[in-house]
Amino acid sequence: MLTLAVALASTAGCTVASHQEPGQATAAVADAVAQAGSAVATTRLTVSLLDADRVTTPVADAAVLDQVRVLEESTTALTTLVPPDDVSSAQRDAGLAAVADATAEVVTARAWVAREAGGDLSTSGAVPLTASELEADLARAADDLDAVLALAGGA
Amino acid sequence: MSRESSSGAGVRVVDARLHLLSRQVLDVDGEPVTTVDDLELVAADARDDDAPRDAAPGEPAELGAILTGPVLVTRLLGGRPPASRWERVPWRDVGHVGTALELTVRADSLDVHWPEGWLREHVVGRIPGGRHDPEEAS
Amino acid sequence: MKKLLGVALGILTAIGGFVDIGDLVTNAVVGSRFGLSLVWVVVVGVVGICLFASMSGRVAAVSGRATFEIIRERLGPRAAGANLAASFAINLLTLTAEVGGIALALHLASSVEPRLWIPVAALAVWLVLWRVKFEVMENVAGLLGLLLVGFGVALFLLGPDWGELVRQAVPPSPPATEHVATYWYYAVALFGAAMTPYEVFFFSSGAVEEGWTAKDLAQNRVNVLVGFPLGGLLSVAIAACAAVVLLPAGIEVSSLSQIVLPVAQAGGTLLLAVVIVGIVAATFGAALETALSSGYTLAQYLGWSWGKFRRPARAARFHLTMVVALLLAVGILMTSVDPVTVTEMSVVFSAVALPLTYVPILLVANDPEYMGEHVNGRVTNALGMVYLVIVVVAAVAAIPLMIATGAGS
Repeated sequence: MLTLAVALASTAGCTVASHQEPGQATAAVADAVAQAGSAVATTRLTVSLLDADRVTTPVADAAVLDQVRVLEESTTALTTLVPPDDVSSAQRDAGLAAVADATAEVVTARAWVAREAGGDLSTSGAVPLTASELEADLARAADDLDAVLALAGGA
Repeated sequence: MSRESSSGAGVRVVDARLHLLSRQVLDVDGEPVTTVDDLELVAADARDDDAPRDAAPGEPAELGAILTGPVLVTRLLGGRPPASRWERVPWRDVGHVGTALELTVRADSLDVHWPEGWLREHVVGRIPGGRHDPEEAS
Repeated sequence: MKKLLGVALGILTAIGGFVDIGDLVTNAVVGSRFGLSLVWVVVVGVVGICLFASMSGRVAAVSGRATFEIIRERLGPRAAGANLAASFAINLLTLTAEVGGIALALHLASSVEPRLWIPVAALAVWLVLWRVKFEVMENVAGLLGLLLVGFGVALFLLGPDWGELVRQAVPPSPPATEHVATYWYYAVALFGAAMTPYEVFFFSSGAVEEGWTAKDLAQNRVNVLVGFPLGGLLSVAIAACAAVVLLPAGIEVSSLSQIVLPVAQAGGTLLLAVVIVGIVAATFGAALETALSSGYTLAQYLGWSWGKFRRPARAARFHLTMVVALLLAVGILMTSVDPVTVTEMSVVFSAVALPLTYVPILLVANDPEYMGEHVNGRVTNALGMVYLVIVVVAAVAAIPLMIATGAGS
């Protein structure tokens, strides 16, 4: 009975993401983008805390790594979605682009955390030097996500 | 239903389903031995526990032993294990029927104790510290 | 003086032992999504666990019979067997979540991958079960778990708008962005986290382990009635920290690392370290309790010799059960399933399983053959009936809500 319930629950979770009705598809896009927004917000908070020496590097690294996984989930939710009409298709594409951008920024943030921790990435050119640069990049990614979210009618 | 004479006036009625079945069995030191999974009825005239005679309808019968082990499976799923596989605790070893059944013998002396004894000798007792008393300072 | 110290120790252990990975994760998730609008569930859950734990402790102290012996005796082999299968499975799920929680917390402390910590954590749990005296185990885990009070300290350091927090809590005002079904799903999850059935197995068997008698009932009552509500306050502090820092930032908690960020913001690395030690201790203590509970339930159903107070060789099957349960938990975690997901599942299924343990205890607590003069009073029974309804409603609603909300997503 337990396994049946778990199986039912997990299949129910799957149907939400790939449902065929336009409203449902839009809601699925909004869900995935909101999830990505949460990941970017967590990364921003972590970066500012690490910059202020209020958080230890293992915790900061774990926090950002966990967000990379969350973004992966959002990406999967968007890529596996089958949009039933043009409107939701456009929303999905916008969402994918914004989530991809957010993922890139969070991955950069992780490299920055590693450098703060004294890792051997100090010469890598793609990593911003200061926390404020990084935070600005993350803020931009967050704004992009918010724009898609507004498009998809999420709060 | 079986009757167990109690000291003083009258007789205490013990309901097999309510007061015996599925009750915990403790040995003389208070160590749990098993649970009462089933009860064996034998003919009242054959008191020889080594060769109990099955209770026959219409004849006086009495409680021969507490049964445990494989009979639990057959009580759940139906059927009946062969008599050779019965795990028995003779009723004469039972000293008191309360919220648990208290025996007058030690668990180690009972046949039903073999799985515990086997694991003790061959597995748990062999791991370092397996015979260490946790209540003593280590 | 010594007696007073004993009372204080009992209370402190009860506070530190109250919070486990289920409380930690569920409260933080709820705080970050619903603010304090579900605090009432924590209150209902704490009153419930007080009622339930004191009743099962009283039954064990007076009759010397632990919970699952009673379940077997009352329900018979068939119904009790089904109950055992469900309780054991859910307890195993909780054990898995706790061991995973230790590994995640150690990951935060060390940046060594959680998968490497899982076997180490399980081995440490086993060594304590194998070797350490019951009272020592209880007290050390409980006292270190008290470090979670760091969440309360963090809340004060954050200096939140208290009026706003109270407004979220009374009357409960869920945020407009969340669906009603999701709100109720998390209400059930929070209730299951506060009233996990293993606490009852553990509490009643622990009373037997510590050799309680009717004389210890007063101490039992004080431990539960003071310790658990204070432990409940810790849960609320965890939710409040998330509500103050994470909710406004639009962060939905999905990992342990997010739960400690508000603490870092409020108190810096020192307070963060204190809280991480607290999390390790709380999850470790709960892992011990759930591992023991797996042994307790099976041994008590089958009438095996059990108890940590015996030499392991004198309770061989009991100790072997715990080893197998720990190995199964490690096996489940090694499939790289997310421990936070396991935790969320375990609290919901705990809510489903609650009536299975609750109903037999309520029946036996009213049985003069077991309880003599210590049968339930009228007030306890009235409260008991109210909770019977709540527990059954939560159990029935849990799985439909889980399916309807896609497990709260």
